[in-house]
Amino acid sequence: MISDNPTNVDGRNAGRVVITGLGIVSSIGIGMPEFVDSLRSGRSAVKPIISFDTTGFDYSNGCEITGFEPGRWVKNVPMAELGMASQFSIAAARMAVEDAGLSTDDLRSLSCQISVGTADGESRDLDYLTETQVRSGWTALDPTISSRLTANLLSMAIAREFGLSHAETTTIGTACSAGNYSIGNGFDAIRMGDADIALCGGADAVCRKTFTAFYRLGTIAPDCCRPFDRDRRGILTGEGAGILVLERLESAIARGATIYAEVLGYGLTCDAYHPAAPEAAGVARCMKMALRDANVKPDEIDLISAHGTGTKANDVTEVRAIREVFGDAPPRTISLKSMLGHTMGAASAHSAIACSLAINHGFIPPTINHRVTDPECLIDCVPNESVAADFRIVQINGLAFGGNNAVVILGRYDKESA
Amino acid sequence: MSVMTMVPPVITGWSAISPFGLDADAFATGIREGRPTCAPVDHAAWPVPEERACLVPGFDIAKLLGAKGTRTMNRATGLAVAAVGQVLGEEKLTAHASEGTAFALGTTTGSAQTMMDLTRQSFVGERPYLVEPALIPYAGMNASAARCAIRYGLKGPNTTIATGRPAGISALSYVRRLLATGRAARALAGAVEEYSVARSWLHHHGKNGNGGLLGEGTAIFMVEPAVSATRRPLATLLATDFRACVNGDFGATVLTAVRAALARGGVSADEVLIASHSGASGPAGQAERAALAEVAGEAAISRVPDLAELIADAGAASAALQIAAVLSVAQTLRTAGKAALITSVDPDGAVACALLRLADDTLPAGGPRE
Repeated sequence: MISDNPTNVDGRNAGRVVITGLGIVSSIGIGMPEFVDSLRSGRSAVKPIISFDTTGFDYSNGCEITGFEPGRWVKNVPMAELGMASQFSIAAARMAVEDAGLSTDDLRSLSCQISVGTADGESRDLDYLTETQVRSGWTALDPTISSRLTANLLSMAIAREFGLSHAETTTIGTACSAGNYSIGNGFDAIRMGDADIALCGGADAVCRKTFTAFYRLGTIAPDCCRPFDRDRRGILTGEGAGILVLERLESAIARGATIYAEVLGYGLTCDAYHPAAPEAAGVARCMKMALRDANVKPDEIDLISAHGTGTKANDVTEVRAIREVFGDAPPRTISLKSMLGHTMGAASAHSAIACSLAINHGFIPPTINHRVTDPECLIDCVPNESVAADFRIVQINGLAFGGNNAVVILGRYDKESA
Repeated sequence: MSVMTMVPPVITGWSAISPFGLDADAFATGIREGRPTCAPVDHAAWPVPEERACLVPGFDIAKLLGAKGTRTMNRATGLAVAAVGQVLGEEKLTAHASEGTAFALGTTTGSAQTMMDLTRQSFVGERPYLVEPALIPYAGMNASAARCAIRYGLKGPNTTIATGRPAGISALSYVRRLLATGRAARALAGAVEEYSVARSWLHHHGKNGNGGLLGEGTAIFMVEPAVSATRRPLATLLATDFRACVNGDFGATVLTAVRAALARGGVSADEVLIASHSGASGPAGQAERAALAEVAGEAAISRVPDLAELIADAGAASAALQIAAVLSVAQTLRTAGKAALITSVDPDGAVACALLRLADDTLPAGGPRE
């Protein structure tokens, strides 16, 4: 099914795809400079959740975004038509587009693939409407909020904000790995000639529904997220958006764009095993598929940005799968969720952005809150402090409820190797 | 990287569960008869604002799928699981086939009902976290696709495409890329929408409601590379095109999409035998119909019933059911080498067009199992 020939479409060159713009909205940084500083210094943004009433929960820490001013980024779409996830999505897209040096007119002249991954869409709004229904009945629902629930608005909002009519807007609803799915979709759309440019990533906002579900399953940490730690207790819910600009290498070179990294390939598998518990075999198969797609050998991977949720089940399963693929000396394996919380559909997009930055700034972000590595999760998670490193190839893992695995492989773009 | 192929894939089988009935035969019969399905809503079971709706008749999850593991399953997941089972038929997947089969399922936003049920329990329960754990696997947008994978052992790429009314076309386009890049050897693709109290009230209050009635259903297609198809092709997916209507002019946007799809597929407008529009309510739907008629002609539009008039607004399932309708009609026509156009608009702005080359034989509903 899979061949080794790298870039061939019916005899034509399918071309290489590179990342030329990054936009980030996160609890540890809105915009690139702050985000890079936070990654390097191992910042935590853990605070008690305030976006919904947490009365009655025994603990309710989270990684919410504070100080987000949507009006700085949302210039054209009326704010009342946008839920929080869509606002994050537009903000990250505007940052990414500006970072890529693309004007609105440039974008309008291109065919665009807009892919935004999400777990919850505008579930914060849906929670609000549910509260209304509980208190006042179905007849009392707010019409404005009822009109902005469709998940595709997360990607359509970007098209509307920039006035992009030649755009395929695809919201990918594959939960916590959806960001990687979207990067893969953008990658294939460009390689197949379906799009000139892709704006892809993920967006989610903290909501009561998802916090409650994780809490009920016993997977919310009482204090902070400690991936791979012996005493890890689970996730903290996080939020935000990450959008990447993807385009062909030739187009990036022709317009003199900054190239952060090259998308080397990706893999998708489904465990078809359990609705909530991950399965090592399915995760390992996904990594192998991504490596084969990228034409990269396991020993060429310098860094793994793990899904690393900090739950008992995820970390032990993911490390088992990593060791199955990489043997007894796997590459350094970090979890950004220790800093960002679990940003759901944005999580792997956040990881891809973080790694694209780290690869250029020459450091590996740490796994913070780490005390004692679990003997069942034996990897070097770069505990607590970032390390300087010159590295080339990074693997981004995304896992999701439903056994939806997505792994993306990025490579540093070195001009001399082009 | 894999070798890619731009040779278009073929649709080799399908099923639909719809207000016409519980399988593809019932759907095809309903389409050919042009039978409206809206009926009075039983307000004891469905405390909704509207008087009428188009529900799948006799849809009982436990009866169709067995009582085991279906107690908290919502209608969307039940519909998808049942329809995927019908497309796979008696086939037992080998390990190789299991890993090589992708699944892409379109949705609007998952099951609003299950999501609201979970949150409601958090508000009204003794403790805010004492929600029914068995609801949790169905409260995510990807729940239906994942449940189908677990039930049938579909271990290939498994993707939930939340693009609303055009989702069926989005899912077909998405699996076309998966097949072309060698990420799967074959794929199931389709879309699902459930009728629910929550959806009804959200629709009622939302700006796109327009007082229109609601339907539900699902259509699932088997899509294979032309060179390795294991079943007889019913149609070739020549091209898809997607646009965003960002200036309110749905007519111009649909016109652009249709012309682009024809150009990409190398098909002239006079080769289009059947043309199906989405029947979206309000001005968007009217503009869509006019644009499609301008390119394909009234005769092509008249060959397939206006699905929305028969089964109302089937949400994310609408475009997938349109394609099933086109395939149903094609069985009764001399289609030799002719093409079909399917358009879809979502009042939120998404515009999609699919162009099919119809196979030249008449075939039984659901495709043969050879």
